[in-house]
This record gives sequence, C-alpha cells and structure tokens, in this order.
Amino acid sequence: MTDSPRRGRAEADPAVAVHSLTKIFPVPLHPARGIVAVKDLNLRIEPGEVFGLLGPNGSGKSTTLKMILGLVSPTRGRTEIFGRDSRLVESREAVGFLPENPYFYKYLSGEETLRFFGRLCGLRGAHLKERINELLELVGLTRARKRRLGTYSKGMLQRIGLAQALIHDPRLVVLDEPTAGVDPAGSREIRDLILDLKRRGITVLLSSHLLAQAQEICDRVGILADGVLVREGHLRELIAIENQTELVIADASTQLVNEIESVINRSNAKLIERRKSTTTLERLFLEATAKNDEARMSSDEGMTKQT
Amino acid sequence: MTNTENAPTLQRFSAPTAARPHRPFSVSRILAITFNTLTELTRLKVFYVLLVFALLLIGSSIFMAQFSFQQEFQILKDVSLGAISIFTSLLAIVATARLLPQDIEDRTVYTILAKPVPRFEYVLGKITGVLLLLAISTLVMSAAFLVVLYLREQAVIHATLRQMAGAPPEQLADALHAIRSSALNIDIFPGIIIIYLKACLLAALTLFVSTFATTNIFTIVVMAFIYFIGHLQATAREYWLQEHSSGLFTRVFLAIVALLFPDLQAFNLVDDIVAGTAISLALFIKTALLGIFYTTIYTLLAAFVFYGKEL
Repeated sequence: MTDSPRRGRAEADPAVAVHSLTKIFPVPLHPARGIVAVKDLNLRIEPGEVFGLLGPNGSGKSTTLKMILGLVSPTRGRTEIFGRDSRLVESREAVGFLPENPYFYKYLSGEETLRFFGRLCGLRGAHLKERINELLELVGLTRARKRRLGTYSKGMLQRIGLAQALIHDPRLVVLDEPTAGVDPAGSREIRDLILDLKRRGITVLLSSHLLAQAQEICDRVGILADGVLVREGHLRELIAIENQTELVIADASTQLVNEIESVINRSNAKLIERRKSTTTLERLFLEATAKNDEARMSSDEGMTKQT
Repeated sequence: MTNTENAPTLQRFSAPTAARPHRPFSVSRILAITFNTLTELTRLKVFYVLLVFALLLIGSSIFMAQFSFQQEFQILKDVSLGAISIFTSLLAIVATARLLPQDIEDRTVYTILAKPVPRFEYVLGKITGVLLLLAISTLVMSAAFLVVLYLREQAVIHATLRQMAGAPPEQLADALHAIRSSALNIDIFPGIIIIYLKACLLAALTLFVSTFATTNIFTIVVMAFIYFIGHLQATAREYWLQEHSSGLFTRVFLAIVALLFPDLQAFNLVDDIVAGTAISLALFIKTALLGIFYTTIYTLLAAFVFYGKEL
C-alpha cells in the first residue's frame, strides 16, 4: 500500500469532475414525458477529500453515483474520474464501489468473493492472496473467511463489500449509503475505516442521509434536492453561524460562569443559551455496550478462576 | 473490529498491489466470470434434479419391453438421446434465464461492472459458464447412456454366443456384426455433439431474451414459445410454400420468421441415429456450423443490447 507511481500521476486532475450532468428517465408509452432524476449538476471533488452527497430519498444521489461510475449514461453532460471519461472502462481502474445494501453471491465464501473481485481487477497469485489476507484482517472477517456469504449478517456483508471495493488499491472509493442497516458499533467501524482511507490520501465520495455521521467525516458536502444541487461547499463554512461563538469550558466554577455571563451582559453581545455539554447518543450507546461486554468478560473470567 | 485502537489500519499494510495495466480484452477476466457462473449454476438444486431425472430415464430404458435386440437398441437410443436432448435444452433455458436478471436484481452487477470489466466480457463470461455447464451435463448423460448401451450390447452378444454355440462361424460372425452395428456405432457421437450445439443455441437465445426481459418467468415463457415454434416452423414453411404462391412477400416473411426463430428441427438427428441411417459428414458439418453461427449471433446480440442497458 505504498504510494504507487500511478497515484501521483494525475494529482493535478480532480478525483471526480461532473459537468452539466442531467439524467432524464423516459416514461414507458410517454416518450415526451420523462422523470428528471438529476438536473444540470456541476461538481468537483479534489484528491484526498471526503465528499458527502446528501439528500432525501429520491433526490438523485444514487443516479449521480451510477453516472460517475459509468453504470448509467447521462442524458446530457459528462463525468470524469481523475481526468478520464467515466464511460471508459479504464477509468474504473482507480475506483472502488460499494453499492447500497449490497448482495454478493451467497454461495461464495468471504475469501472466494475477494478472490473473484481481485481477479476481475487483474490481481494474481501471491499478491492476490496477500491482499485478501490484509483486507479480511482490515474489515475483521479473518475468522469468517471460509463461511458462505449466505450466513453473514448485514454488517458483515457491508464489511466484505468494503473489502471488495478496496481490493485493487483504488484512489477513489465510492460508497452508496455505507452504513444503511448497520448497528451503531458497525457504523462506527465503517466511519473509522473511512477516516483511515482519508489519512491514506484516498478520495472518498459517499452518499448518505445520516447527517450526523456525514458531519463527522466529510470535508465537503453537496446537498441534492429533486436532482438539483442546492448547497455545496466546505462543511465548516456551510454549518457555521457567522454571528455566534461557542465556548466549551471544563472544570469552571459557578462563580466563573456567572462572571462570564455578567461580562457578556455588560457588552453589546447576547447570551443565547447556557447548558451542560452533552455526549452524543451514539457515544453513550457504544460506551454502555462496551462496559457491558467488559463486565461479562470479567464475570466469565471470575467464574473460570472459581472453577 | 470492536476495539478501534487494536483495529488494523491500512497504514499497517505495505504490500503494493500488483494489478496489471488495463487491457481492453482479457481472457482471465472472462474466465473469472465463467468459473464463477459455473460455480453458481452447479450449486443450484435444479441442476442436480434435472441431471438425476435424465440419468434415471436413461437407466430405466434397459427395462423397457422389447421383441428383438434391434428394437431394444432402438428404444434405448431413442429414449436416451431424447432424454439428453430435452434435459440439455431445458437446462440451457432454465439456467440462463436467471443469470442477468438475478445479478441486476441483487445489484451484484454493479459491483462487477464498477470494476474495470467491459460489459461484453461480462456477457461472454456468463454464456461461457453456461456452455461449460451444458458440456459437463452432456458428457455425464452421454457417459451413462454409452455405459448402458455397452452393457446391453455385451449381454446380447453373450446370449447370442450361448444360443448359437453350434452354428457355423460365418453365421455367428454375421449375427455378432448385426448386433454391433445396431448398438454402439460411430454415428452416435456426431448426434450428441449436435444435441449439445442445439442446447448452446438455446442458451445464447435465452441470454439475448433475458437482456430485455424484466423477469425470469417472462424469459422462460418466451423461450418455451420459441422452442415449439422452432421445432414446427420447418413443417409450417413447407406447407405454406406448397399451399400458397411463393411470391416475394411470402419469401421475405418466411426469411424473417427463420431469422427470429431458429429451425430447431434441423438439429434433430436422433431419428436418423435410431433408424440406423448414417449421418453424412456434410450434414454434420452443415448442422454444426448452423449451431455455432446462431450461438455466436445471439451472444453478440445479447452483448449489444446489454451494452446499452440502463442498470
């Protein structure tokens, strides 16, 4: 996984460039009428970014991703991946894709699935074997490598899906609703993996309607509504409230807080809210379930010692 | 994965990937899809059910009533080759009908085509997997048929030797020659190859129909119609030309029908084999080329339609 020459080759090109992209699905028996899924979309995603394509169901997120991947042809406009037209098969050398709720071949084991996708990407022999071992370890499925996918849970399927998307060391990873149907712990693991990809300099384009999660991991977001890009930009800039400032203070006495309040009241500024900092529900859930696991493990150890 | 601190990260892996540069056509990519398709089909219960039914039918033909050894061998060949023909045809249609729609419904096609895999390679890999399955099935059924035929031939030879123990050698040699020529003979093999090519044609045609069909059932129903029309069209064509004037319109219409519905009766050499008529080399080559031609054309049509398909 060291930086390969091909990784540095096209750094000047954006990872994804979308130019005036429009997709109109024809209505059977009514050729004049059509359903506009995406309308005049322009987008530029730089290498190394985590870009979130957000929007409600039916807003055109998946159609946009499919056009970027060359699975659906645009009615107008074009898309490029690292400077290559998406319609060209070779543009997909640089892309790994995880579709929403992926179903893989149930009769294959986790290891066989990765071998199949690796071969499709031109990987062979010892390198492929090594890569499979790495990825199974990465997504935590080493023990389940020989099990058929028909016996995998939804979270495990999502993880093997992510592993197949990474099999050929892509420079761009496209994830369509990567945490759909996954429990909070699994969702956190996928989030950590995405952040890990970002640290590696891999560009991530994901679609989601889980806004809290997108907020945690995305550098930039675009919001689609009825196929139109209604907002786009750096997350911090988009969600910042220009005339408001937050101070988070630890171990402050009541007297100190009252003094700060009185300073604010004496000035032209206005105190809008005073409250205790809270944790997120996700963090609470993860801590609670982790403590529960630890308690169960220590009780199991105690019982083993007694016996 | 539950402990994030201990979770492996991509940074820990240093092995460079050894993906080869993209090639517009890759046999190894096609083979990966072919063997995956073969694995998928051989893990379907319907494959084994059909195969077991065919083998049972071939095996049971030993016990069918007969008056003479010629009749016995005729019935054995008729039933066995008929079973091989029907079961390979059925398998070709049933196995192929589900391949593309199932992949699209399960969205596995997205993960495959999101890799650097051209669509025609995907279609080619799928059909090659089916053709390989049909070859294996034909080989298994043919082996069972030939073993049964050989065992019956040996049993009849031994019985004849016992009955004609005191007969003159010329008479005995004639009798044995008559048995051997009516049992296992070389004409069976081109007949089996033609049965296989007919199944290949049906598989390619089913693949083509499935590229624009929305469900497996639709594909199977359409193929059932094509199967019957394909077997009847030669007779209908002869009747039509005899009863009506063979003008330009009629000829064009019949040519279109012949193009849409392959003449499957042309692949029926079983009657000739059963009757003991030798299959000429010219007829075999002509029929084989027709099968290969139709299989190629339908595969190309399937690839063409799939190329422009919105997924």
